[in-house]
Amino acid sequence: MTLHRGRGMSTIEYPTGMNQNGDPSQAWIKVKPDGRVDVFSGTADIGNGSKTIQSQIVAETIGVPYDWVTFDNSNTDSSPLCTGTFASRATFVAGNAVLKAAREVRGRILEIAGREMEIDPGDLELEDGSVSVVGTPARSMGVDEVAGAATFVHGELLTGDGAHLNPAAEIIDPETGEVDKPPHAAISYAACVAEVEVDDETGVVRVVKLTQAYDIGRAMNPTLLEGQIDGGAVMGLGFGLLEDSYPYYPANEHRGESMNTYHVPGMEGLPAVENVLIENPSTGGPYGAKGIGEMANNAQPAAIAIAIHDAVGVWVTEFPITPERLLAALDREAAGEDQPRREGKRVIYDEHLSVNTVATAKSWRP
Amino acid sequence: MKVVGARLPRYDGVGHVTGRTTYVDDVRLPGMLHAAALRSPHHNARIIDVDTGPAEAMAGVRAVITHADVPTLVYGHLSGAGIDGDEPLLAKDFVRYKGQPIALVAADSVQIARAACDAIVVDYEELPTLLDVRLAFEDGAPVVNDRFGNWYKEFEGGLEARQIRKGDIDRAFDDADLIVEGVYRTQAVEQAPLETQVCVAVPEPDGRLTIHTCTQALYFSLGVVCAHLELPMSKVKMVGGTVGGGFGGKVDTASDTLAALAARKSGLPVKWRWTREEEMLASSTRGPWHMEIIDAVTSDGWILGRKMLTLHDAGAYGRFSVYGLTKHSFHHTGAYTIPNLHFDGYVVFTNRIPTSAMRGYGVTGLSTAIEVHTERVANELGMDPYEFRLKNANRVNDTSPNRIAYEDPSTVEVLQSIAAATGTELDGSLRAMTRGERTDDLLPDHLVGQIAQGGHG
Repeated sequence: MTLHRGRGMSTIEYPTGMNQNGDPSQAWIKVKPDGRVDVFSGTADIGNGSKTIQSQIVAETIGVPYDWVTFDNSNTDSSPLCTGTFASRATFVAGNAVLKAAREVRGRILEIAGREMEIDPGDLELEDGSVSVVGTPARSMGVDEVAGAATFVHGELLTGDGAHLNPAAEIIDPETGEVDKPPHAAISYAACVAEVEVDDETGVVRVVKLTQAYDIGRAMNPTLLEGQIDGGAVMGLGFGLLEDSYPYYPANEHRGESMNTYHVPGMEGLPAVENVLIENPSTGGPYGAKGIGEMANNAQPAAIAIAIHDAVGVWVTEFPITPERLLAALDREAAGEDQPRREGKRVIYDEHLSVNTVATAKSWRP
Repeated sequence: MKVVGARLPRYDGVGHVTGRTTYVDDVRLPGMLHAAALRSPHHNARIIDVDTGPAEAMAGVRAVITHADVPTLVYGHLSGAGIDGDEPLLAKDFVRYKGQPIALVAADSVQIARAACDAIVVDYEELPTLLDVRLAFEDGAPVVNDRFGNWYKEFEGGLEARQIRKGDIDRAFDDADLIVEGVYRTQAVEQAPLETQVCVAVPEPDGRLTIHTCTQALYFSLGVVCAHLELPMSKVKMVGGTVGGGFGGKVDTASDTLAALAARKSGLPVKWRWTREEEMLASSTRGPWHMEIIDAVTSDGWILGRKMLTLHDAGAYGRFSVYGLTKHSFHHTGAYTIPNLHFDGYVVFTNRIPTSAMRGYGVTGLSTAIEVHTERVANELGMDPYEFRLKNANRVNDTSPNRIAYEDPSTVEVLQSIAAATGTELDGSLRAMTRGERTDDLLPDHLVGQIAQGGHG
């Protein structure tokens, strides 16, 4: 038995928002008589942090403390439409909807404060729950007082609403796939280096370390962001090495029916994960944000496969890279059968997997 | 900035980690029934007869739902985008995958509901199965999908494949010094959320329905329920927004509609919580992808062209697969600029659980394939993989496969950052690269024509 160390790197991109866009989100906000803020948004929180991020955007934009904000996404009677929490769209698209609603609320607070203070609202600023005169910070009024005055003196309700829609990109030429406008809200980028240890007797691969660099536009909440990236790294590791709903695909048998027989990574033996965050703000996202949720599990599988090649010199291109597949590849290599076919300037790998080899229906070679 | 950018705790984190958050399964109502599904034991079969009589006669059984109880039986996930539905909410004449629901029973207890499912008598004629996407096009292949056949044939312009064509692919391959071919196959995986599919459907005294749902998309699911039940959106209230993990597996609206039908038929609240086995064996998975990549490159490390064939295993029904494949096609050059392209992608049906969204939909397997292939090409060229990637990395105003200019690509920065973070010394020329628009050595003749003229191409 020999343990072989290897290292592999991959680089990826991933779109924010639904492919071809056209996926609206809407929100509205009301202010209670004590200035506390209720946000109504249709964005489900699936653990991605929608409630936190949208509350942060609202607090920042209006200019009130974070703990003044209550977030309600509980039902479709009181919350307006959100297309949903998928496609890495919640922070960007739904975040823009609450951002616009919060701007409106801020404007209304300043308007009422202006009437109360007998000053042009343009000469007021709003921060930390307090409205004050620009240049004369001593002249100020709490947002709680403003909201009380709106309710009980002026007989008005402080509200705001907002919606965001990146217009749908149409395929204008189906032959070429040309589209008429950008089909994404933004694009995020990442690179990953995997360091692995391969046991050439058992075929077991241990990922020792994952180093990852992400351009996420803006780190809206670094703690939640790191949670997404670390969780994604583990999910990518599972995809690369462990998980398979059909272990003998294309056969349909031997499916794991429980967490005992379907193997997701466990806490034991997880690699060290080191993250580098790059903030290259998007042009259209709230405070420059881009999506991060999905791409977080996309870079690791290839980095691991490349690291395995670096360690033991074989390519496994059917995933996951199980000990069985890796040992089979090592056996093929030992028998001299792992080499690509070379024909003039062509180098042909994996011929045995190709539809051209397996099927007879038509020539697939493009 | 004070709040944005701050390390604030998760809004609902304390409730989650102390077990005090109310998830859907925590909803318990007076008189609430429990549901169970009868599912197909076969991968592919004709249904000759279904006799629900023995189940209906059992004490404690309050409603048995079959296809005949569904006002609109077929409604597609992408119907709103003009793509026909193909999947019956409950199987009618055929079952096309093992685990496909045929009937739902609502009863006083989940034990009674399961026993009642066992008492339903179904007469099947088993049919041959198709499981390998590569064999879907063979003469005499078993037919999987009653609406589309074995592959989707209704892309815009009547095309059977999602196509990308760009530049002059033949010239790229003629001019290449090296052509590298590879085949990549990525697998189905389970989204594996802690919370399985679950809902509680409640018939309200005013005739409305309240549905406690674990959906990732409240309004999408509202639309799905209303379409099947032929109701205006005013008649259904979706209650949710707090989900015990989704990862893409809770967009399909797997349980809400059937539970709603059972609630209406029984007049009582109905909870339907899937078992872990159902979650693993009958809920949608990430789709398997079969990808063949052929790259034409020069000896000094330019990627001139890419031909690619993708067969996406949709399972038995379409769900979001046309969307997923289209997204895949739009990103098939990865983080690089390749001026000449020829891509064909097929949505292929097999007798497998319908595949659907999962984290990275359409792209996770693609990124895996592209990056392993990229490394292989660099190895064949004997070129440093950082140099090869940095040279071909997309730049501002390079155009994407569908001719959209990149506004702010960061491929160069993430590569430089990962090198620095892992102690890889890059040559000065590589360290000096930026995302900025191509000039001089980074703008060889073959790339001149693909730069967008004045913004979006």
